[in-house]
Amino acid sequence: MLVVEDGTEYEEFANTFLGARFLVVAAHSATEAIEQLRSRSVDALLVDLRFERAPSDLLVGDVDATARRLFGGDSVRALRWIKDQQGTLVLAEIRKAGFRQRAVFVHDFPSERLKNLAKLYGDVHAVPGFDAAAIGAVLDARPRVPA
Amino acid sequence: MRRVLLVLLLLATGLAGCSGGGSDARVAWHNALRDWEERRDPAAYDAWLAIPVPSPEGREAHRRIREADRLYRQGIERVSEGDPAARDSFEQAVTVAPMDPRLYLPLARTFREQADLAPDNPHLFIRAAEYYRKFLTLVPDDPEHDDARRELEELDPESAQLAALDAPAASPTLPAQGESLGAAMGLAAAALFLAIAALLAMIARPGRGGRSLAELALARPELHPAIAYLVSSLRHELLKHRIGAVSSGVTALAEGRASAPQRDFVRGRLFGGEPLVDAWDGHIRAFERALGPELDLRRRDRSFRAAGKAIRTIGSLERGLREGDARAMKRLALAHAELHRLDRELFGLVSKMVRTRTGDALLRSIVDEVREEYAASRVELESVAIEAPHPAPEVEVFESDLVLVLKNVLRNAILAVGRMDPPGRIKIVVAVELEPTGEENVVIRVLDTSPETLTTEAIYERRVDRGLGLVTAALTRYDGAIVVEPAEPPWAKAVTVRFFRAFKDDDRPSREPPAEERASA
Repeated sequence: MLVVEDGTEYEEFANTFLGARFLVVAAHSATEAIEQLRSRSVDALLVDLRFERAPSDLLVGDVDATARRLFGGDSVRALRWIKDQQGTLVLAEIRKAGFRQRAVFVHDFPSERLKNLAKLYGDVHAVPGFDAAAIGAVLDARPRVPA
Repeated sequence: MRRVLLVLLLLATGLAGCSGGGSDARVAWHNALRDWEERRDPAAYDAWLAIPVPSPEGREAHRRIREADRLYRQGIERVSEGDPAARDSFEQAVTVAPMDPRLYLPLARTFREQADLAPDNPHLFIRAAEYYRKFLTLVPDDPEHDDARRELEELDPESAQLAALDAPAASPTLPAQGESLGAAMGLAAAALFLAIAALLAMIARPGRGGRSLAELALARPELHPAIAYLVSSLRHELLKHRIGAVSSGVTALAEGRASAPQRDFVRGRLFGGEPLVDAWDGHIRAFERALGPELDLRRRDRSFRAAGKAIRTIGSLERGLREGDARAMKRLALAHAELHRLDRELFGLVSKMVRTRTGDALLRSIVDEVREEYAASRVELESVAIEAPHPAPEVEVFESDLVLVLKNVLRNAILAVGRMDPPGRIKIVVAVELEPTGEENVVIRVLDTSPETLTTEAIYERRVDRGLGLVTAALTRYDGAIVVEPAEPPWAKAVTVRFFRAFKDDDRPSREPPAEERASA
């Protein structure tokens, strides 16, 4: 299992509660994640959504372009948004690099948004809390047949 | 305590009146105090000032006005210095006496200066506009009235129009000098009756104070953005990363199958770093600071009260968990479930907050209202077309704020078109755009045929008059934006407003049963 996060909490959680099932490896940026995916076989992705502690140069997303497009030129709000939603942007890069593993977020996305993520990035799921049993169930479920 | 004092004062007033010892000054003072202390009526200042100085009540009223005046002026000074604790001076002052309404003007100007220094903070603009309006309403004869109106028009023309419509505040009703003793006796008897009724009500319903968070959200929709932000921080920082993170561990502990690393993980999250109780109290203080005294999370909010108790319970279990005490594990599971319940409640609360449909009906009413305005009604337009999807997407924006934003944009477009040769055309198009984050943006484009140059920078730097300064402030508040975009002929440009779409309320059951429920399954 590849854990992608800005800190170490997901990795600790995965090692502690999913370690019997998975060998857990971690990455802290899209670049690191893609390197890991290229260097080893990975069955599943556990992805953090907010990367508030990540340095700006490791983030996916162009702050200035985002500020112009979405926030009327306000780069502070743009950077905050990029950090708050970084997990989805990292997943976009992973998919762009050709990796299709099942991805799980620990977040209570509204179902419409989760559908959008599945539309954009294929096999994407979410559980609302750090619940090893729920994450295990999601990873065991059969892939959805595309509509 | 203040209520008790007020009741005692009412009793004293009533008894004194009934015994024939009442005076005009005493009755006037009672009314003036009530207007301020119970209703916080800004017009109470005149009533305080009108109490005859020769009477003890008059001397007291004037002494308190002088003392409060010094504090209000000190508060304004502190705002102008950017002192984040300036509020303390005002909070102290309001407990003493009402403010001289003429001070609303320097207060408004000070907030406006601060707003210019911090254009990203919409609250400063909103405060400035609010104080200008109060000044214009409460002191209509002031020599600076016209200047104040002009300044408010520059800041927010719509607000200036509203101020013009506001009738001057009625002066508090004061008994005329020399009013008959019979009338004073009647008032005193009424005061006595009210005092007894209030006393009985207090005995019957002790301890009624502020509101719970859910009640506050229901009563004060303008606080929804602040509530959403505070709830998001609490849920993410505490309920997800410290409490939610140990769900699996708590289950394993309760079932007696937790491994040593799992025990360490649970202890690390619950007892490592900042103590849970301190983290919880920090969030509670943030709610109280941001939402004001109307909110009473500690006593009136059952969910927060229970969650606070659960946090304290967990805080007390460190030793028991270290020693593997089964009773401590059971208590942990129950406290954890309580906090999980709060998390679900907060999720439900936030997902049901203010939403506005950006549909055809709302846009048509905005067009009609702007077209009825004097200047806009004189512009000859070939058409104002509207294209909006069905069903209309919703945004998490207070309807009056959305209307304010769109009316300003539309008004500017109509007036720009009016400065060119006819025929002029306007079109409003609503679209939904998908973001790579899975979120959606509701994009409202106001297209016009005016060749006049307008840039996004000009709007944000407030070089454009007609209230776009307040529009940008409102947009910032809701994480929205306004940009000027090129458009395909026959359109010259589009002024585009965007907000994140509010997804439909799932109303779904939690997919994460509380640890305590799973443990007992």
